[in-house]
Amino acid sequence: MLARNRPRGRRVPACLRGLQLGLQRAPSPDPNRVPGGVGGPRAREAEAKQPAQASRAYPTPENLPRDPEPQPARASRVRLFQPPRRTPGSAVGRRGSLWERGARAFVLKQERQESPRTELRSSPGQGAQKTGAAAPRRVRGRSSQVCSGLDKLSDRSFSWLQPRESPACSGASLGEMSAWTMGARSLDKRGSFFKLIDTIASEIGELKQEMVRTDVSLENGLEHAETHSMVRHKDDGYSEEEDVKACARDSGYDSLSNRLSILDRLLHTHPIWLQLSLSEEEAAEILQAQPPGIFLVHKSTKMQKKVLSLRLPCEFGAPLKEFAIKESTYTFSLEGSGISFADLFRLIAFYCISRDVLPFTLKLPYAISTAKSEAQLEELAQMGLNFWSSPADSKPPNPPPPHRPLSPDGVCPASLRQLCLINGVHSIKTRTPSELECSQTNGALCFINPLFLKVHSQDLSGGLKRPSTRTPNANGTERPLSPPPRPPPPAINSLHTSPRLARTETQTSMPETVNHNKHGNVALPGTKPTPIPPPRLKKQASFLEAEGAAKTSSGGGRPGAGPELELGAAGSPGGAPPEAAPGDCTSAPPPSSESRPPCHGGRQRLSDMSISTSSSDSLEFDRSMPLFGYEADTNSSLEDYEGESDQETMAPPIKSKKKRSSSFVLPKLVKSQLQKVSGVFSSFMTPEKRMVRRIAELSRDKCTYFGCLVQDYVSFLQENKECHVSSTDMLQTIRQFMTQVKNYLSQSSELDPPIESLIPEDQIDVVLEKAMHKCILKPLKGHVEAMLKDFHMADGSWKQLKENLQLVRQRNPQELGVFAPTPDFVDVEKIKVKFMTMQKMYSPEKKVMLLLRVCKLIYTVMENNSGRMYGADDFLPVLTYVIAQCDMLELDTEIEYMMELLDPSLLHGEGGYYLTSAYGALSLIKNFQEEQAARLLSSETRDTLRQWHKRRTTNRTIPSVDDFQNYLRVAFQEVNSGCTGKTLLVKPYITTEDVCQICAEKFKVGDPEEYSLFLFVDETWQQLAEDTYPQKIKAELHSRPQPHIFHFVYKRIKNDPYGVIFQNREEDLTTS
Amino acid sequence: MMAIRELKVCLLGDTGVGKSSIVCRFVQDHFDHNISPTIGASFMTKTVPCGNELHKFLIWDTAGQERFHSLAPMYYRGSAAAVIVYDITKQDSFYTLKKWVKELKEHGPENIVMAIAGNKCDLSDIREVPLKDAKEYAESIGAIVVETSAKNAINIEELFQGIRPVVLTVCQLPGNSLISTSAASQLMALPAHLSAAVRPPAQQI
Repeated sequence: MLARNRPRGRRVPACLRGLQLGLQRAPSPDPNRVPGGVGGPRAREAEAKQPAQASRAYPTPENLPRDPEPQPARASRVRLFQPPRRTPGSAVGRRGSLWERGARAFVLKQERQESPRTELRSSPGQGAQKTGAAAPRRVRGRSSQVCSGLDKLSDRSFSWLQPRESPACSGASLGEMSAWTMGARSLDKRGSFFKLIDTIASEIGELKQEMVRTDVSLENGLEHAETHSMVRHKDDGYSEEEDVKACARDSGYDSLSNRLSILDRLLHTHPIWLQLSLSEEEAAEILQAQPPGIFLVHKSTKMQKKVLSLRLPCEFGAPLKEFAIKESTYTFSLEGSGISFADLFRLIAFYCISRDVLPFTLKLPYAISTAKSEAQLEELAQMGLNFWSSPADSKPPNPPPPHRPLSPDGVCPASLRQLCLINGVHSIKTRTPSELECSQTNGALCFINPLFLKVHSQDLSGGLKRPSTRTPNANGTERPLSPPPRPPPPAINSLHTSPRLARTETQTSMPETVNHNKHGNVALPGTKPTPIPPPRLKKQASFLEAEGAAKTSSGGGRPGAGPELELGAAGSPGGAPPEAAPGDCTSAPPPSSESRPPCHGGRQRLSDMSISTSSSDSLEFDRSMPLFGYEADTNSSLEDYEGESDQETMAPPIKSKKKRSSSFVLPKLVKSQLQKVSGVFSSFMTPEKRMVRRIAELSRDKCTYFGCLVQDYVSFLQENKECHVSSTDMLQTIRQFMTQVKNYLSQSSELDPPIESLIPEDQIDVVLEKAMHKCILKPLKGHVEAMLKDFHMADGSWKQLKENLQLVRQRNPQELGVFAPTPDFVDVEKIKVKFMTMQKMYSPEKKVMLLLRVCKLIYTVMENNSGRMYGADDFLPVLTYVIAQCDMLELDTEIEYMMELLDPSLLHGEGGYYLTSAYGALSLIKNFQEEQAARLLSSETRDTLRQWHKRRTTNRTIPSVDDFQNYLRVAFQEVNSGCTGKTLLVKPYITTEDVCQICAEKFKVGDPEEYSLFLFVDETWQQLAEDTYPQKIKAELHSRPQPHIFHFVYKRIKNDPYGVIFQNREEDLTTS
Repeated sequence: MMAIRELKVCLLGDTGVGKSSIVCRFVQDHFDHNISPTIGASFMTKTVPCGNELHKFLIWDTAGQERFHSLAPMYYRGSAAAVIVYDITKQDSFYTLKKWVKELKEHGPENIVMAIAGNKCDLSDIREVPLKDAKEYAESIGAIVVETSAKNAINIEELFQGIRPVVLTVCQLPGNSLISTSAASQLMALPAHLSAAVRPPAQQI
């Protein structure tokens, strides 16, 4: 079982070795960092408290988190446990007390007592709680963490309770909705909901037929019927009449407990079915042994695409068939199908339910489809490819369980059940539309399919039974009416239950760490108490943890209760799922619309599933989410902006409503519902954003190799101001680091689920680049700016620019070669504002976008409605003029920042062009005086430009260390002059002697025989022999397991070899 | 989705010879409304289908004035091709052209494809540069040569179509990093990049 993890684990591409070297603190076991595993002292402390907490039915002040953690983070960890109730009234009362105690945020986590994960089992209070499903249980002690002071959040999460109370909209509608939304996903970027509907309409018809049964029950409006139909398919042994009854009134909560959605199952087990590296032959071999309907996703070497290989029944002739997966810019779809999905998981999940272009629906392997907990799934997933040959993948001992019928069309009660599940990732209950309607704030638990409005409207017209939740409780604690401006971050961890992820969240410097369940577990007695070095060990540790969890939870077979059990419970990936629930609330409901799209949350859940978010960051993210592509794009680097998203949420729903109603003729009532439903779209988060966010989180998690790299690099840079000899050097190193880390990420398995499953291939680099900006440039921005300024102050270019700016400003446009209309004062002010906004951005791309806006504005002024097109002959002088008028010294550093850090692949585009022009304009200004004299730029400037371009084009295409292998950075040390560095082109076979020659030339050394090349490593100097090969030495250093800081230094031989170089006072300084 | 190859083309030549007119003509003929226009005429793109590929010309205009001469390297670096424009009615512009050719040979990218465009051929009655001179010169440096008229849309399309195959051949040469096959996948990502990151502002403004 370990096998899977290890190899997948932290592969450190060779290219990264260099990185490590570059870092003074390389990722290495750090006792302080990872005490006793993941949790850290706090977590452990919390853990200790856990048993007591677990036995409590309600959160009490004691088990509320005390640390002043940022809300979002906390919310994401929240576990909400909703006590099953028999009567709404009693529920209210209970809830009220919950609220009173300040336990505000919860995750809807349904835990039946059967659930192996429940801590209750091991906790003292267990017996009592077990007595009835109705007894409210605190499932996880940790859930207490939850409670937050943030009213908004709490409202939101509170509202989450509501939906669950009602048995609800049909599985069919859920399923369709999910299909619908999935499809929508692809379109939302394009803003065409219209198309979406058209596309899906036919599919829906099909589904509808397939789900006749559901429909019937729905149309009868019999909640009971529905509930029962669901119950019917429950796993045997779990059904309790009691629960069933409760469901009717309550939520069907128990009937669904322990059920995992298909999507969830897929997410957990992707190491099994998502085998991108598998060849066709291997895939065929595996599938041959499987029953029809079983599938694999792998990459076809023939087609150079991902394909879905499906095992066919004998009647089909061929044993299996491959369906190509089409990846467009934003979506995944099966070749030939009109339905697109945001990611691979949704695609597969959909095809587990509806066949669409397939001959029949996909089937999950028996073990996966019957797994009762995330822990079990995790356990299966650990096997990876071995799953297929393992006993785990055996046929059901008995005839297929009721919920997994083998009916060829794949439609049946079973699929119905799964439809429900797909939304309620963690056994969320469905409810009637009317209830949905009332519980506007919570939206999240399920989708309403607008196309099923006939069904819904019945409910509606029957008067809304407002779930008690809506109205303030007796306690008055609840404030459902105030729409939480934004939801708690989606706690998607659940999806990622994989230990790795959990780990991730934990231990970083991030505050939320402490609360994480997993961590807690880790800290528990039996688990690994050792300090865990970043990559491998940790992984193993977490694996153990997961394994332990799985064991405990799956069988309940462990006799020993107590901490161990608890550990299992807490540690089980299942622990995570509840976190997902807050995510549901995430989407900010349009404040005004009372009836919030119920689906909204559901959608959210769906869409969030695939990412794990736990950090405070997620909040911010969610806020920006409703902006949709258009707004979000421009803002994302400013996404810290507060509060704007709320208003914006409004827009999309309205828009989409209009569109939709035009395509369907629907009654008013329906329309209003549609409007609500449309809110769902505002919650779409592009997979891209989710991925970026996910990576950003990972980067803060020092438990991951990636996190270590990033964190160490960031802190290294911040703490070592002297490590760079020039601004260019610094920016270049950062760029190089980003490129290499990107490379690492795309190869490593630290991203779970793999990026390929969420992002179409041609977009991966774009997404990674964005993520790099967020996790590297964002934290470094301030530092970099300060450093740039320092460098420019130091080298005098700041002053030079300042003086020349003054000169240039005094010239009239004609003197600058301007023969086109120029911007007036007002325009210049506008431009200045844009430049100032630019300064706030950390992303070079965003900065470039603003630069483009400035240029566009200049063009507009120049053209002045004349219709004349101005080329560079006219534009460049005007740009120079404008930049001078703006009189912003900071522009210099801005431009430099962009030029060095912009994604190399953008350098040839429009952004690159205007960046070049802006740089040129600034150079002209800087050299204005000189130009006056010589009418030419100094050759020095030309050299700089040339070098810049060379640099930037060098690493343009192949961002790997190989690019840099032909370069050697050599520092030149001279008396009094400090150190200057140059990067030389040094091929591997070039000897030290040759390098010395090059150095003599480059550094303009008059007496080369006095100098030699030294290697400074481990605080010692070694003079390199003439016949050695510096590149080989460098390679050797890079390949050492321990990172070394080393420098090649060209300096006087006479110098004290131990680093005192500034002895020869009379040495005249050679220029650098 | 068709693969997109990007060809960076740099425009050089004296000021006033009609560099930007040539590009405007090239880009605006058969104007495709689906392609979001660039923000100005200094940088323009045009995508031309070719077999099962799309070739996207990224045309970098440069300022021809002497004072901006020193900035040119930034513009022509990384170019797959350079179109050097002179004005057939101005002998001086032909001299400047020769200077550019020389500079490109010395400092330009290796294997850069050079195309010489004698613009304003509609004004051949006041011609100062005989076509023969241009042809001889072009031959001596292995460049494409064509006389164009941006005004009358003469030979504009031909000029760029002429560059394409040469560039592609050159690109096949090993060691040419301009548009190598390995870069192709990356280039494919570029349009999306552009549309996501660069284009929107252009449209919004």
